[in-house]
Amino acid sequence: MMGLDLSTWPPVLVVAVMGLVTALATGLGAIPFAFIRRIDERLVARADTLAAGLMLGASFGLLQEGRNHGMVQTVIGGLIGAVFIVVGERLLSDREVNFGEVSGAGAKEILLLLGVMTLHSFSEGVAVGVAFGGGQQLATLITVAIAIHNIPEGLAISALMYPKGTSVWRCAGWSIFSSLPQPLMAVPAFLFVEWFRPVLPYGLGFAAGAMVFMVLFEILPEAYESLGRASVGVHVSVAFGAMVLFQQLVG
Amino acid sequence: MVLLLATSAAALLTALGAVPLPAGNARPRLVGLAEATAAGFMLGVSHLLLTVGLGEQEFNTVLGAAAGALYTLLVQWYAGTTGYEVPDDLEPSQPGDSTVVRELLQSSLHSAAEGIAIGIAFVIEPRLGLLLALVLGLHNIGEGLAIADVLDRAGVPRRQAAGLCVVAKLSQVLFALATFAMSPVLARLPAVASGFAAGALAFLVLTELLPDAYRKAPKIGIAGLATAAAAIVVLLEDSLV
Repeated sequence: MMGLDLSTWPPVLVVAVMGLVTALATGLGAIPFAFIRRIDERLVARADTLAAGLMLGASFGLLQEGRNHGMVQTVIGGLIGAVFIVVGERLLSDREVNFGEVSGAGAKEILLLLGVMTLHSFSEGVAVGVAFGGGQQLATLITVAIAIHNIPEGLAISALMYPKGTSVWRCAGWSIFSSLPQPLMAVPAFLFVEWFRPVLPYGLGFAAGAMVFMVLFEILPEAYESLGRASVGVHVSVAFGAMVLFQQLVG
Repeated sequence: MVLLLATSAAALLTALGAVPLPAGNARPRLVGLAEATAAGFMLGVSHLLLTVGLGEQEFNTVLGAAAGALYTLLVQWYAGTTGYEVPDDLEPSQPGDSTVVRELLQSSLHSAAEGIAIGIAFVIEPRLGLLLALVLGLHNIGEGLAIADVLDRAGVPRRQAAGLCVVAKLSQVLFALATFAMSPVLARLPAVASGFAAGALAFLVLTELLPDAYRKAPKIGIAGLATAAAAIVVLLEDSLV
């Protein structure tokens, strides 16, 4: 494919490298924000609302994928994800939260989203590792798919972070950080495929449920305060539609 | 026809919402939570329709969804219900007042969209249509509570309110039947139709049900109930398919 003959590499190394590539791809999601100069409150509100749409779209895709591995487990994972957000919110609410240049409610949201994305990456890593257990052709395809999926994830993270004052490099850095569990989990998942396979739908559902809950619990209420109802509806719909289309075309 | 029975049942369930109208300070919170549950059911239905459409043709489904959302936006704008909010300190006034009329108009538009969704689902597969009628019927209970709340605060007597709710919902039956009558056309574009219904319903949730709910009830309750209701629908659809 790239002139590199991967079949000569030891499989474990291939898995590790592929996992790393998918993690780095997440950083690409920060790139659009390198081109934005002015930040004002309306931009923050709009970006957050778009992020909400992206997250709903991603959750939709995750549910689709989870269906292939067991819907009930996926939904259970989803409910656990929702609870995770509630617990996280409670833990963070009593403290002064600072995240780099951001403080207060914005910092809380960022921390929660990063937490969700990072945990979710564990299950993505498992997906990559398990896929490699089924042969390299399929695995490369899945890796590319996950890498490309990571870009909008980085976009959503950056959309939440950048308008609140985080630099583009930091956005990219944190986005990549949130995906680091992918290579970390891919290797053991590859080596112990049979053990990890049943966990996958819970992981997928977890991310979906957490994101949906976060949209309903944090992002939308704030959006309605800053933007009109119709505006919120349009922003979410556009971002959702774009995300779903993207996932359909890639997956 | 089965469709007629199903949508009528769903419409009648709205009246159920008017029954347990509680008094006192807890009311706005309860109404908000009911709306959140209704929103969750509707989102679940939207998800279901999207899944069905995407199974057929991806781009057409998204296109249909965009059309559905846009259509809803235009209807809202035309009917003057965009950004319309019932004031919190509503005083009792004569029925036929603009508040009552607007509320019923908004409800009729909701019902029309729901009717279209049920009709489309029936065209695709009768069991799907029944599932939609069931879930939207449940959703109607929550909506009925919300409508009755507004009517009651506007001074409409209880029984009259229940009756008006059902009347508003009749458009659901009408539109369901009308949509079903168009089945030869729809059968050739199932993805677009499915997407259209999904987009319209989701847009209603985003622009009317959710913002209303947030103004009345704590957001954790809203998020929790909406998520739970949607999860129920997702599980139901899985057992169907």
